[in-house]
Amino acid sequence: MTLLELLEGPLWIASASIFVAFAAFRLIVILFTGRREAEARPAGSPFLGALRTILGHFLPWRRLLGNGKAWFVTIAGYSFHIGLFVLLLFAAPHVEFIREKIVNLPWDPIPRWGFILSAQFAFAGLITLWLRRFVDPVVRLISRPDDHVAAGLTFIVMLTGCMALGEQSAFLRGLHLGLVELWLIYFPFSSLMHTFTWPFSRGFTGAMAGRRGTRA
Amino acid sequence: MATNKGHSAVRLLWSLLIPAFFLMAMPALTGVGGLRAQESGAAQADPGPPNTLGKRSDAEIWHDLRLGAGGIANPPTGSPEAGSVINSEGWEWAKLRNPEKSPIVHYGAWGLLAILGLLVLFYLIRGPVGHGEDSGRRILRFRLSQRIVHWSVAFVFILMGLTGLSILFGRPFILPLIGKEAHSILLTAAMQAHNLFGPIFALFLLGLFVHFLRGNFPSLVDIKWLLKGGGFFGGHAPAGRYNLGEKAWFWTAVIAGGALSVTGFIMLFPDDLATRNTIHLSELIHAIAALVMIGFSLGHIYLGTIGTRGTLKGMVDGYVDENWARAHHDRWLEEELEKAESGDQARETAEEGA
Repeated sequence: MTLLELLEGPLWIASASIFVAFAAFRLIVILFTGRREAEARPAGSPFLGALRTILGHFLPWRRLLGNGKAWFVTIAGYSFHIGLFVLLLFAAPHVEFIREKIVNLPWDPIPRWGFILSAQFAFAGLITLWLRRFVDPVVRLISRPDDHVAAGLTFIVMLTGCMALGEQSAFLRGLHLGLVELWLIYFPFSSLMHTFTWPFSRGFTGAMAGRRGTRA
Repeated sequence: MATNKGHSAVRLLWSLLIPAFFLMAMPALTGVGGLRAQESGAAQADPGPPNTLGKRSDAEIWHDLRLGAGGIANPPTGSPEAGSVINSEGWEWAKLRNPEKSPIVHYGAWGLLAILGLLVLFYLIRGPVGHGEDSGRRILRFRLSQRIVHWSVAFVFILMGLTGLSILFGRPFILPLIGKEAHSILLTAAMQAHNLFGPIFALFLLGLFVHFLRGNFPSLVDIKWLLKGGGFFGGHAPAGRYNLGEKAWFWTAVIAGGALSVTGFIMLFPDDLATRNTIHLSELIHAIAALVMIGFSLGHIYLGTIGTRGTLKGMVDGYVDENWARAHHDRWLEEELEKAESGDQARETAEEGA
């Protein structure tokens, strides 16, 4: 068995299994652990508070609309996340791989120019957001090593993916796949879990604020 | 009988005229083939030297083609290269671009090594430039957006530089070390990354230009700074927000970076944006601009890190010590302190008025 066959076979299954099992475990823990009921009489609707926060946080706070920093974070955040998800789900090599290994996706892959453009948006967003963790004193203070590892690993995975774009080298394909597998194993134990937990964290914060009659 | 004789004569006439027509029309109809047909006609009349296909040699045919003969529609009509079968200027480009003999590779490698050597020598002789003790008072030098833009350009520039140098110097320097297979993988990867990050570099460079333009125009104090040797060899060299060296780096980065971006786009879209000559020229400009920018950046990196104490902190945290500012950018410090003082006075006046 070649290294590439190992990466595409047993190691892929192992890393994907770790990803699914532990990500599901963390979500189940978050959803079913529960917390003590609040005893104070509610001053507002927790449901509306949650809804408002989940949806409202897609835009910069109204009071920060005139602030360039808020716009920068918003635009870079959208650029990175949308670019990454387009790459992940619509890039031709990924569509082919997902169809072969996981599920028959019902959509066609995007053309090559779409791939390139999405990658450029994703890289530009990721680089600026990651650098902000180093040069913004406040964000630097609240950044943990995990945040840097998560950003660095995501960057390396994306970079090796783009380096393998020519599809001429089994080594580059193997390198990219190996790093994807490492990323999948790291994912459930890191801040990368925000991919799934963001509606819950926003919803919880919003519900608490809504119950108190305030806004999150 | 007379009619039959007439028909025979007409048939004979046509049977001679039709081949003659095709023989005459052949050169006009077939381009290169026409040249061959002419030759073979000539060859029948004059067989030429032994063991050749005609009187004219292949070299002459290619020479004619090189000068625009032939009329072959390849590249197709309408394209910038229509009717051009051979591009003679390509030879000159090939000589300049030949990995083993290229003067760009040769002088580029020596130039970069010389700069590195000079920096090491300067560090060993002069050591890091200091500013005495820290005062404990800090002053904002770079805003958050300036720091993010600066490091974004730096990050992508280093990535582009490493991949670009692998492409430029790969064959003469890296291939002998790692072998053909590994080198081809490295080059494929480097080229894909280089092409993908190019437009991102252009975008960030535009951001850099907008964020750092203010303060980078020439001024009289630059002459004094230059006459004092930038303060690198002792004494104090006055400077505003940016000194002459920093201004030179800014404009080099903008001009060389702009040239890299434009020529890079031409090479990314060769069919839509350029003729072959433009592509060749773009490649040469791209390589030269890259070497100039990388060479200058080595000096910038040295002075921004180990070369001048306290400078890196300014680009990470945004703040510098007042004594650092007094030593390296005294005119700028004076302006900032005056602004702060007038702001305080205005605040005090407003408070008194209230």
